This record gives sequence, structure tokens and C-alpha cells, in this order.
Amino acid sequence: MNDSPPPEPTSTIGDDLGLGLSAPGSALFDAHGHRKVHPISPLVHAVAVFPAMGGVAIAFSASGGAAVASRLSSLPGLEALSALSPILAAIAVIAVLAALFSLIVAAYQYVAWRALSFWFDDDGDFRMQSGVLFRQQRRVQLSRIQAVDVTQPLAARVFSMAVLVIEVAGQDDSRVRLKYLTLADAREIRREVLARAAGLAADTAEAPQDIVTKVPTGRLAFSLLLRLSTAGLLLLTAVIILASYLTEGWAGIGFALVTGGVPLIVVISEYIRFHGFTVAQSPDGLRLHYGLLRTESRTVPPGRVQAIEYVEPLLWRRFGWTRVLVTIAGVGADSSGGNQRQQGNTVLIPVAGIDQAHDLVARVLPDLDTSSLTWVAAPKRTWKRSPIQWRNLAVGWDEAAFATRRGRVTKRLAALPHARTQSVRWTQGPWERALRLATLHIDTTPGPVAVSGLHLDGDQVLEIAYHQADAVREGRSRDRSIHWGQQ
Amino acid sequence: MASPNTEEAFTSSDEWVRVSPKLVTARRIVLGISMLPIIAVVVVLFILPIPAFIPVIAALAGLVFFIWAWWLIGRRVRSYAYCERDDDLLVSSGILFRRLVIVPYGRMQLVDVTAGPIDRALGVTTVQLHTAAATTDASIPGLEPTIAADLRDRLAHRGETRSAGL
Repeated sequence: MNDSPPPEPTSTIGDDLGLGLSAPGSALFDAHGHRKVHPISPLVHAVAVFPAMGGVAIAFSASGGAAVASRLSSLPGLEALSALSPILAAIAVIAVLAALFSLIVAAYQYVAWRALSFWFDDDGDFRMQSGVLFRQQRRVQLSRIQAVDVTQPLAARVFSMAVLVIEVAGQDDSRVRLKYLTLADAREIRREVLARAAGLAADTAEAPQDIVTKVPTGRLAFSLLLRLSTAGLLLLTAVIILASYLTEGWAGIGFALVTGGVPLIVVISEYIRFHGFTVAQSPDGLRLHYGLLRTESRTVPPGRVQAIEYVEPLLWRRFGWTRVLVTIAGVGADSSGGNQRQQGNTVLIPVAGIDQAHDLVARVLPDLDTSSLTWVAAPKRTWKRSPIQWRNLAVGWDEAAFATRRGRVTKRLAALPHARTQSVRWTQGPWERALRLATLHIDTTPGPVAVSGLHLDGDQVLEIAYHQADAVREGRSRDRSIHWGQQ
Repeated sequence: MASPNTEEAFTSSDEWVRVSPKLVTARRIVLGISMLPIIAVVVVLFILPIPAFIPVIAALAGLVFFIWAWWLIGRRVRSYAYCERDDDLLVSSGILFRRLVIVPYGRMQLVDVTAGPIDRALGVTTVQLHTAAATTDASIPGLEPTIAADLRDRLAHRGETRSAGL
């Protein structure tokens, strides 16, 4: 029995960041016997918000607060600095302003901290009370809990803090975030919530995890560089630099900064996001753990996965690599998460060998076997509508799943079980009509995966659409994976 | 429906229900209202001291567009149809961009009946279906209020009895 805690990130930026700021764990209770989050939370909020406050400070000193800014720069320390270098002085002023704004935020967050508490009520449901002006009490029914995760944004990581995220199912899928708890506390509460949600005693030990796979760092970096757009832009940058050197005309070097800088930024940010990507199997589902600066832990519960997509860029095919995207019900509809976070949340694995990818998909969607499908390809006349990708356009199905193929340079194969179909759409634009073609869309919940069979024979597609509607009816009556938590 | 021809699928079966012709009137009224700014522009062009052929051409273009849109509205409304089958609802529409949506009853999360001011005045409403997918585009305009209410109740009832979670 494997009792070890979830795999730690392997980066050298440890929980302490060398500042010796590891905050002791706390089990604080308020007057009602409800639990509080860690007292350092207001400070963590202030640090988290500091970069944004920097932007606010810049805007402030540029417009209304110029007088304040100039008065600040006449402080003794800063005057000496401005004698040395005006730019440094300006940055120092901005930093001071940002710190002041952050302190204001911290003060507000202190009041919010006093109002925030959480506990388990008599039915065992998780309750959270918050709100300074508008008091709000949330009740998370155990039966509606889809996943519980522990993440560490960068600011929290400095203080060895973590955020507890509870994903709740329902009409409006939502997330409950508890900021901030010590890492150990967050894991402890996660264990308790999961134990209660599974109907076990509150002190049941954490479910064991078996690590399925880990993406090697070298492969991640190499694969990110190996995408056609990235490689192409970097090559272009090299050409520009070479041409500038040979012709001694350095005017074009600015272009090189853009064509080189943009792909580098993309590669670096994705590398930071997916560093140390580890997939582990636990009874709660597949657990993903990744991140270099900000570490995230995500659970992919069985029964919530709607559709998957294999993405194979051209340059990856030599190595047999693929990326797996997944549409999870409720993810991608989160209004409080940033765009970047949503993107990170919908990748099952950023790069893997094809067999490994099939294995992972089989763990989340057991009945899906893309190798045994009956495929119907686009007719020859489709080349007039889609000259580049027409050879790869096809739809396929078996009794359990439906799949579509598209793309030429980047090949994509999207698939979903019949039971996950929300609706079936047959569309035909005027150009398609002239060629007697049509497109079939299988609608599913919002997410990165679009299951669309483009530009196929019109009559065939209509027949397949009706056939799929029948399959949906049968698939739903046979589907058992939705009730994973109610055994 | 085995191997239906594309044309026939939309028109042949008796079970397809068309929408009310009052929708044509409603849409044409909206077209008329939306022509007002264009008419205003043309009038202004006539008043301005520019060569006469410019406003004349603009007026002719506006007239041609109006006549084409007027005719198109009639054709498009005639293409709206729906069909209640045992386990799902079919909604078809479109002349230039044709569309057929099949929504299983168990997938319907919300059924809305809405009507704008002009629709209300003429006695037509729109029934809109929502599933968990944002891309499901199943709305049936031009239904009379009683028919729409009955349809909504039937759909809601079938949705409940067949629903099986997400």
C-alpha cells in the first residue's frame, strides 16, 4: 500500500525560497468552533497582488497622482538614488507606491480573513462563510463534489502556503477556493473532504496513488521547440540576423526581436506551466501534477470527461509524439480563472508517445478505442473545398464512441463516447451545397475539443447524423460511469 | 429514415411541422425598420452637393437590397420546421446556410419561450432549447403562443423523464 504524499515538484525553487519564511501550521478556531484559514493570508494576498498594483501605480503616477509621486521622490533615500540614476529612482517610486497599495489590499484582506471560516456541518457537508459587506455562506454538498485539489500559486509558495480548490458539479459548475492554508493543512483538509464525500469515516487515510507516467523535462522542452510555427519563426530570426550581419544593415534587427521573442516567450511560458508533468492513478481518478513556479494539482474524475483530442504536429510525428486535450464538464466555464489557467486545465498530457497517450485516454474513457473504428472518409471532390486537409477528413464510429479526423500539417483526432453527445448538428454552406458536401458537428460541453466531421458527402452525413442520434439513445442507457461516486 | 435524399429529408415527412406565416410579417416589419437609417443616409446624400449619380446609385442599391431581403425572408421562414420524434427533437432551418439539429430529450436542460415586441404584437414566439453544450443552436421562431407553450411543456416533461445526468 503506497502511503506516500503526492509527488513533489522537482524544481529547485523549494517551498521556502531560501527566505526562511516557512510559516508554522495552524489549526485556528473562532468563537463558534469553526476553522480559520492561516493568519498570514492577508500578507500572502498582498504579495500576490503586488505585480498588479505595480501596474496600478504606474497608471496612478502617470495621471492623477503625479504630485504624490514627485513628493515621494524627494524623500532622502530616493533623492540620492535619483542623483545616481533617474530610471532607478522612478522604479523605486513605483515600487513604493505599489507596496502602499498592496498594504491597503492587505488591510482589506485582514478584515476579510476575520470574516472567513469553514467547517463541516451536522450532515457532513462542507460549509464556508465569508464576506465583509455581504455575508455569504456556501454549502458544498458532498454528493456534488467532483474533485478536490491543492494548488500553489507563486506568491503562496513563497510562504509555504497553498490554495484548496473544491470543484462542484451542478447546473452552474463552480469552484470553491480556500485561501490560504499551509500545504500540510490543505492536504489534510483535502483528505478529509474526500473521505467524507466517499462516505467513509472522517479520519480515513488518503487514497494511494500510483504514478503512471512523468513527462521528461528534456522531451517537454524539445517538443515545445519543435512545433512548426515556433521552429519556423526561430529559423526566420536566424536568417534575419545572418542577413543583417552579412549586409551590415542592422536596421532589420528589430524584426528579429519580434520573430524570435514571440516564440521564445510562448515556449518558455508553456515550459513553466507544464514542467514536471506527472500523471498518477488514484481511486478519485487521474491526478495531474505540474508547474515550475506555480504548481497545480488537478484531478480528472471519471465520468466528467466529455471528449478527448489527439493533436499531432508535423514535426512530432517523426518521434511518435502526441498531445492529448480533454474537455471536462465544468472546466473552461470557470469565470474566475484566467485564460492561461483554463488552457492548462484542459491538457491531459502535453507530450507523450502514442501508446502512452492511448493508455491515458483508456483510463479516463474506458470504452473509447480509436483503433477499432469504422471510418468514412471525405470524397475526392472535397479537395475543391479544402485542398490542404481533404485527405485526412473523416468520421468514424463503433458501438461505444464517435470520432472525427482533420488537419494536414497538425493532425487532429477528436473522439467522444456516444453518451456524451449533447446534440448533433448537420450544416451545409452554399459552397458545400454546390459540391454536395456537408459538415457534421457533435456538440459537447464547452472545452478545447470540437468533434466535427468537415466537408463529407452530404447524403452520407445526414444518414450518419440520424444514426448518431440513435446511438446516443442507446449509449445513454448503457452508460454507467456517471455515477462513479455513488457506489 | 434510411438513406434520405438531402432535399427530401427536409420536406417529405408528414411529421415535420412548419412555423406560422405571421413570422414573415414580423421579420419584414423589422426589415422595414432597419431600412430607415439607410433611407436617411440616401436622403442626406441627395441633399449634399455631390454629383447626382452617387445618391442615385446608392438609392438603387438600397432598393435592390430591400427587395432581395424581402423575398429572402419569405423563403427562409418557409424553411423552418421541427419534428418531434420518440427520443429527440429535429429542428431544420436555412436556405443559404442549411442546418439540421437533433437534440435528444434527455439532453435538454432549459426550454425558453421568448418574444420581442414586434413578435408579441403579431402573436408569434420563439422556443429555444439549451443543452450543456454552448454550440447547440436549436431555436424555433414563429410559433404561436399556445403551440409554443404546449411544445415547451411536452419537451420539459420528456426531458425530465429521460434525463440521465451529464
